[in-house]
Amino acid sequence: MFSKYLCAVQKKWTVQSVGELEKVAAEILAATPAKKFAVYGNMGAGKTTFIKSICKQLGTDENISSPTFAIVHEYAGREKIYHFDLYRINKIEELIEIGFEEYLENDAYVFIEWPEVVEHMLADFNFATIKITEQNDGSRIIEVSGE
Amino acid sequence: MPVTILGIESSCDETSAAVLIDGQIVSNITADQSVHAKYGGVVPELASRAHQANIIPVVSATLRDANIDLKKLNAVAFTQGPGLLGALMVGTSYAKGLALALDIPLIAVHHMQAHILAHFIKYPHPQFPFLCLTVSGGHTQIVLAQDHLQMKVIGQTIDDAAGEAFDKTAKMLGLNYPGGPLIDKYAKQGNGDKFHFPEPQVPDLNFSFSGLKTSILYFLRDEIRKNENFIQENLYDLCASIQKTIAGILLKKMIKAAKHTGIREIAISGGVSANSELRRLFTENAKELGWNIYIPDLEYCTDNAAMIAITGYYKYLKKEFAEQTIIPLARIPELKSH
Repeated sequence: MFSKYLCAVQKKWTVQSVGELEKVAAEILAATPAKKFAVYGNMGAGKTTFIKSICKQLGTDENISSPTFAIVHEYAGREKIYHFDLYRINKIEELIEIGFEEYLENDAYVFIEWPEVVEHMLADFNFATIKITEQNDGSRIIEVSGE
Repeated sequence: MPVTILGIESSCDETSAAVLIDGQIVSNITADQSVHAKYGGVVPELASRAHQANIIPVVSATLRDANIDLKKLNAVAFTQGPGLLGALMVGTSYAKGLALALDIPLIAVHHMQAHILAHFIKYPHPQFPFLCLTVSGGHTQIVLAQDHLQMKVIGQTIDDAAGEAFDKTAKMLGLNYPGGPLIDKYAKQGNGDKFHFPEPQVPDLNFSFSGLKTSILYFLRDEIRKNENFIQENLYDLCASIQKTIAGILLKKMIKAAKHTGIREIAISGGVSANSELRRLFTENAKELGWNIYIPDLEYCTDNAAMIAITGYYKYLKKEFAEQTIIPLARIPELKSH
């Protein structure tokens, strides 16, 4: 899933409840200089929920909801935040049309759910990756890697 | 002098134009982007290009259908947002150009406000103040409407939209995305009480469908371990049970909102209001709850330009016009209260 862009995992957390996410979110933001994150995880793993925690850390009080239908949501935190969901995207051309590259070139925070379809583009934009894996007991492992 | 308004909608899938004369819709035409059916769902690239290709033919067809000359128009209303930026850009640019050429006012419309004012296209109209549940693939909101232009969001989803919950659980059942309408179809042959899923515990008037999605996922995973044909053998009952759960969550929050505000005028809009269980559940409970229920015709529930035109009309009466410098907005955080 990570293919060739997987760097050595830098940090790893096991979280038991949603309440612990904000602490992990704060630690991730402090640990990496990257402002762009590809967020991997199966359906129901908690990608949107985790991005919600990170956005809160970035100072937005806006309602963060799933952008599956809209493809991208934009929030105003201390800095601008773009929250993508590429679940419905089949071909990269579809994204280029809505100005995907311009979003990436922006000096804004970018979070991308279901990033598999654009994986080959991410190396050019200094992306960190977040991988969320659900365990049988319902806890989640959150791994962050990147430069 | 009658007031004639052209409405233009291009926020997502549909390119649509409508003509409204003195508050009455005389024509409402939506281009059928059949090209999407081939590729499945909303395809942004195709959406923007299809809007470009469709907009002039759709407007011309609407004017012809209404038997109206461009010169008779008093204003042009268009969807400013929220929606896909590339798609919104097409309608916005066209509306600006037309208003400039005809030297008539330009009116920017909030798509979500328009979904609510769709209730004023036909009678009976809800009485103010009323509550509107707007449910679609991208939105789930409870809005308190004080008058035509004064609205306040009092509850909304904190994660997935109700339509998304339908579409994503449909996908888990192996149905093609977006599978919401298929769930409705199969549910008709199933038993909605067969399976029970935990309802989200969200405070206030907000909604959450993400937890439900996950619990259905885990439930299916566990059952498939015991019987690999579980979904195939129980498809109709699963669809009925999932649908009943989602509709039940929506009803419970509306009951809470109605109690909280003391309002019994209840409206439903958005594409998911086409769901038959949602309609049945709300209509059936309305009597006991003392509610008056309003659900527009289906053509005014899904995205359409008639709702943009009617919203434009109320803004026209208040002279709420836009400047030529206006830009489309992919996301407008709150319904503005003017």
